[in-house]
Amino acid sequence: MDWVYLIEVLVGGLMSGVMYSLVAIGFVLIYKSSGIFNFAQGTMLLFASLTFVKMTENGIDFWTALFIAAGIMVIFGVATERYVIRPLANQDLLALFMATVGLATFQEGFSQFIWDSDVHGLQMSKFLDIGLLDPAPIFMSDHIPWLDILIPKFDIFASLVAGSLIVVLAFFFQKTKTGLSLRAVSDDHMAAMAVGIPLQTVWAVVWAVTGVIALVAGLLWAERVSVSFTLIEAVMKALPVILIGGLTSIPGAIVGGLVIGVGEKLGEIYLADVFGGQGIELWFAYFMALIFLVFRPQGMFGEKLIERV
Amino acid sequence: MTDILKVENVTLQFGGVKAITDISFNVKEGEICAVIGPNGAGKSSMLNVINGVYLPQIGTVTYDGVARRSINPRDAAIAGMARTFQNIALFQGMTVLENIMTGRNLFMKSTWLEQGLNIGRAREEEKINRLAVEKVIKFLQIESIRKTPVAKLPYGLQKRVELGRALVAEPKILLLDEPMAGMNLEEKADMSCFILEINKEQGITTVMIEHDMGVVMDISDHVVVLDYGKKIGDGSPKEVMANQDVIDAYLGVSH
Amino acid sequence: MIYRETGNFVTNYLKDREIFPLKFDKIIVILGLLILYLYVPTMSEYALSAHIVPILAVGLATVGLNILTGLTGQLSLGTAGFMCVGAFGTYNLMLRVPENFMSLPVALLISGIFAGLVGVIFGLPAIRIKGFYLLVSTLAAQYFVWWFFNSYAWFLNYESSGVVAIAPKMYDYWGLGNLLGVDMQGYPSRYLLALTICLGLTYFAKNLLRSNTGRNFMSVRDRDIAASVMGISVPRTKLLAFFVSCFYCGVAGGIYSFLYIGNVDLMIYEIDRSFTILFMLIIGGLGSISGSWLGAIFVYEFPIVFTWIGDYLFQGAFNTAVVENVSNMVYGVFIIALLIREPGGFAALWGTTKQKLRMWPYPH
Repeated sequence: MDWVYLIEVLVGGLMSGVMYSLVAIGFVLIYKSSGIFNFAQGTMLLFASLTFVKMTENGIDFWTALFIAAGIMVIFGVATERYVIRPLANQDLLALFMATVGLATFQEGFSQFIWDSDVHGLQMSKFLDIGLLDPAPIFMSDHIPWLDILIPKFDIFASLVAGSLIVVLAFFFQKTKTGLSLRAVSDDHMAAMAVGIPLQTVWAVVWAVTGVIALVAGLLWAERVSVSFTLIEAVMKALPVILIGGLTSIPGAIVGGLVIGVGEKLGEIYLADVFGGQGIELWFAYFMALIFLVFRPQGMFGEKLIERV
Repeated sequence: MTDILKVENVTLQFGGVKAITDISFNVKEGEICAVIGPNGAGKSSMLNVINGVYLPQIGTVTYDGVARRSINPRDAAIAGMARTFQNIALFQGMTVLENIMTGRNLFMKSTWLEQGLNIGRAREEEKINRLAVEKVIKFLQIESIRKTPVAKLPYGLQKRVELGRALVAEPKILLLDEPMAGMNLEEKADMSCFILEINKEQGITTVMIEHDMGVVMDISDHVVVLDYGKKIGDGSPKEVMANQDVIDAYLGVSH
Repeated sequence: MIYRETGNFVTNYLKDREIFPLKFDKIIVILGLLILYLYVPTMSEYALSAHIVPILAVGLATVGLNILTGLTGQLSLGTAGFMCVGAFGTYNLMLRVPENFMSLPVALLISGIFAGLVGVIFGLPAIRIKGFYLLVSTLAAQYFVWWFFNSYAWFLNYESSGVVAIAPKMYDYWGLGNLLGVDMQGYPSRYLLALTICLGLTYFAKNLLRSNTGRNFMSVRDRDIAASVMGISVPRTKLLAFFVSCFYCGVAGGIYSFLYIGNVDLMIYEIDRSFTILFMLIIGGLGSISGSWLGAIFVYEFPIVFTWIGDYLFQGAFNTAVVENVSNMVYGVFIIALLIREPGGFAALWGTTKQKLRMWPYPH
């Protein structure tokens, strides 16, 4: 048993997991505050990162491009709330989900229409070498030797970013007044309106924030898979994450992400032989989620659906 | 008259909350039994236990001679229990006729293949069951709305459709959860007439949760009073109304 | 006043259930069938092969998905996976079972049954899992089926390129072609087979919808606790929905591979195919069989029409990427707009139009 290898795999899985969690949190935010399963999360990632990349490729510097892209995502989020979600507020959740499916397709076409369909490499490390972490004795583009394990530094950076974002969000939800409003809205948006919570504002905020998270997640993911259509695939993987963690739970998204990240890697390496083929990671995450859900149909930390008759 | 339903020492708990504590009562065959009590007393929960939607921690429900801790809702239906719900559980995507037809599903024996091909047994069954459904539609005077999607109906009519859906199953016992909630005087009078007629003409035992005291006094044979999950009264309407505990519970005397 | 809806009095319950109660409608249907069977096969090969047969295939898949998602409320993203089972099943049956016992129509139907069974297996979790969480099961099906056929080369007869072209003799069922002197591989006969299967299965679906089974499906969709309280077995109903739906998708997959493309190729059955069918379903209107066909026609034809406009009006300005992107944008906008204005999709739009026509010239 090659322990070092195993640990390397585990750590890699954990890093992966954190990345999945980052995408998952966007889903959870929206679901938590409106009960909408935002199918467009992946295309938001794509749109955000494409916008960013096109700007940097045309000479705009990192921070400006970042702010502009974030700004665009905020506008987009507000517009989505205004023109897609609000008109549908009185319909059932399935309709809203289908609206996000429509939104996703639209966004997919739109991003690639106004920018292009090429694959754009994104070297985040290049950007961050410049003036971000100095004086940094280590360069982001190398690996850290630690216990003879190779951990890409960028992965550590990504995990730190993701981790801090998660902590900020969790704090936001639990401790602030706005967070409380968000939780009220997610429980019962009619009741929240009745007590005077400004629904439209809350939702606009949520969608804007999710857009920015999508930007961050997209950029971090792009380092691995480049900015292209395949970014959306990353999101499809985040689905088992949220489903295991529970659609309404941020800690769940984190735990789910880690479980899937590690489980996937382990499965790929140790179980591939059993199934006689490569590429079982294609479906392994889903099966993990499936088995998990059979025992806990609402996910690890999700709210149990209590139906009153 | 025999007891068609016997509830014995039923206790139902949700986590730390005791919805029902040690309740026992009997329902005679053919009677109208009203279950009353302030809000939150555990009345709907009691109905849900009888019907199998909730599983009590302690106690047995003896129905039609068979004693059980729990019953599968489906088995309850097959055994002749039919019910309506407090918050109207009609199928919003279907019309009145379709909703009431679903009440006949236990009578439909044809397979899906026959139904898809629209041959033989499937056609006959649609005809026969439609006849049964039409009888109930006529009885409840809802002919004019039979092709209307239920989502478009006002509340009172939806409740009537729900009663129809339960009735059409030819049950032995009808469990009605606040059948007159939200109705005006005229609608209540109509509904009371329907319930009375169902009971007297067809001999269907009826257990109903109801808040309107006038209705309870007028049409029920037997009243059971619940408060905070416990039984505080059990007898004929007159006896129960004279019971001091019941009066206190309704007037809100703390205890 | 040729088309009169009034004056049509129904005298018995069976008449009340008819799909086309008006005499005029019945005449239209008969005329339609005559056109479909006598005229359309004479249309150009281009019309048949690039338009009509593929629409028949995807339309059938949409009807299948409608049964599962529209009628029974079980969200599914695995449609293409089930189609894949159908395609591979048909191929392997035709390849390996001796000629006298197997022919294309039979193979299509049997592989549909395979697909149905696979559907039941992936539908089992639906007994416990509800709502959006159920997506995971059909997604697992989609990816697993793809991986399965990709990994075990036996299914593709060890064809290293990953694509098998279907042998011409597979089209000649029971030597019928030889007997009648007809080219069974030609598009007219392919079309006729697809048409017959699609018409038959659509009729079946329509009947199901109006029957006790259909009502059971819908009651599980609308209020499953109430359904079980009335004696409906929710697990059995859900599994039946999965079986029937995946059967349809499997047959559709077989038609798509055999009668449209002529290849069995995994690339056809990837997840974006599942999405496309979902768009067709949503745009056409959930719960409406005719809507599924309308949605299928729209979603399939739009890119073609758009390209054509580009070629004729803008001298070929629209390349494939542009067409794809604009199509996606259009689908997205349509879905959202329809949901806002007319959640029942094209089918409901048609119903509303008919209502407006009835009231014309009064506004309401």
